[in-house]
Amino acid sequence: MLATIGGAIAGLASLAAARTAKAAVKKVFVATSAPKDYDASKHKWLMCFDVDKCIGCGLCVDACKTENHVPQGPTYFRTWIERYIIKKPKPGSDATRGEVLVDSPNGGRDGFPPTTVPREEILKSFFVPKLCNLCERSPCTQVCPVGATFDAPDGAVLVDPNYCIGCGFCIQACPYGCRFLNPDTRTAEKCTLCYHRITRGLKPACVEICPTEARIFGDLKNPVANDPIQAFISKNKVHTLKPHLGTDPRTLYANLDKEVR
Amino acid sequence: MVRPKMPPQIFRLVLLTLAIVVTYIIARYLLTPASFRQYGFYRGEALVEHMSHTPVFAGRKACLECHEDIQTKLSKAEHKTIGCETCHGVGKEHADNPDVKLVKIGDNGCLRCHEASPTRPSWLKQINPKNHYREDKCVGCHVPHQPNEVP
Repeated sequence: MLATIGGAIAGLASLAAARTAKAAVKKVFVATSAPKDYDASKHKWLMCFDVDKCIGCGLCVDACKTENHVPQGPTYFRTWIERYIIKKPKPGSDATRGEVLVDSPNGGRDGFPPTTVPREEILKSFFVPKLCNLCERSPCTQVCPVGATFDAPDGAVLVDPNYCIGCGFCIQACPYGCRFLNPDTRTAEKCTLCYHRITRGLKPACVEICPTEARIFGDLKNPVANDPIQAFISKNKVHTLKPHLGTDPRTLYANLDKEVR
Repeated sequence: MVRPKMPPQIFRLVLLTLAIVVTYIIARYLLTPASFRQYGFYRGEALVEHMSHTPVFAGRKACLECHEDIQTKLSKAEHKTIGCETCHGVGKEHADNPDVKLVKIGDNGCLRCHEASPTRPSWLKQINPKNHYREDKCVGCHVPHQPNEVP
């Protein structure tokens, strides 16, 4: 009896040793193109939008699809643009604004077709770029039953495609609609902040492509000289989407209208 | 001293419970990936997997290695905020091998941003392509790298 227990313990110990050795060997010999000097705990990424600067060209949506090999088709987006058209209130009514029309044809990827609303009926109109809100208390992470979605130490909320079982809880939990189920892999997918780019010192594809600097991306822990993030926060009155939900998003918006959901 | 004898059914129950607990611990040990709980309740290795994708867009820095002259011109013009690949398209292949030429940009490239729309902010220069010099191409009058030097 004692011998059996001893044998089992010895077997387990050797198994543990073999596992550690295997991991060490894998680390050294398996070629990975991942940058080696990146330490996730030394960064805190932040994304900011200036709604007044977005011109609705849709190049960011296209760039995101190209960069991240997002499935084609009009329902799969890691970032997208919404067009808000707020009509004038009906004559004689005491409302401050009329009907609010929101559309996003193909996520804005091909630009926006001319609106059918005549110009004189429009009170105001603007574009709102959207992506993962980088919640400090992310609902999508809380509902994942297998630990496939997580908040990385650097603030990115990522999905582990090898661990995701495709149950779709996170897609329902995200109040911003930032997730979708990839039809090819059957796993949840979302904005990764172009994790393969930011860890190499590049900007995310949408930020790189944005022609008007409507998207500003930076690192809160390593401010550079004339840091665009610090300038953005100090110059603008910033706001987040759906603050009443207590998700505490780190994606900040300047010049946001109250109609934006 | 008389040692109380454990009833055999209790002994079997204890043995069974122990066996289940040990099996659970071994199974959990074997099935949990090595890097699980490295940072939290997830696989730490997943971070490395996300990092190891290859970037598609080369980024402005890669363009500047050869085309610094264009950047000097561009930095004084209104188009200074625009990245190279915004208009010229994905440039990774061209950056790795200059013999691979970039795709030519047509008038649609300009209109994507400059076509008039009531939703576009008023600071952006916008034209209606139906009545704005239809005969010629955009570059017939405008120089994209220095848009404010031309009437």
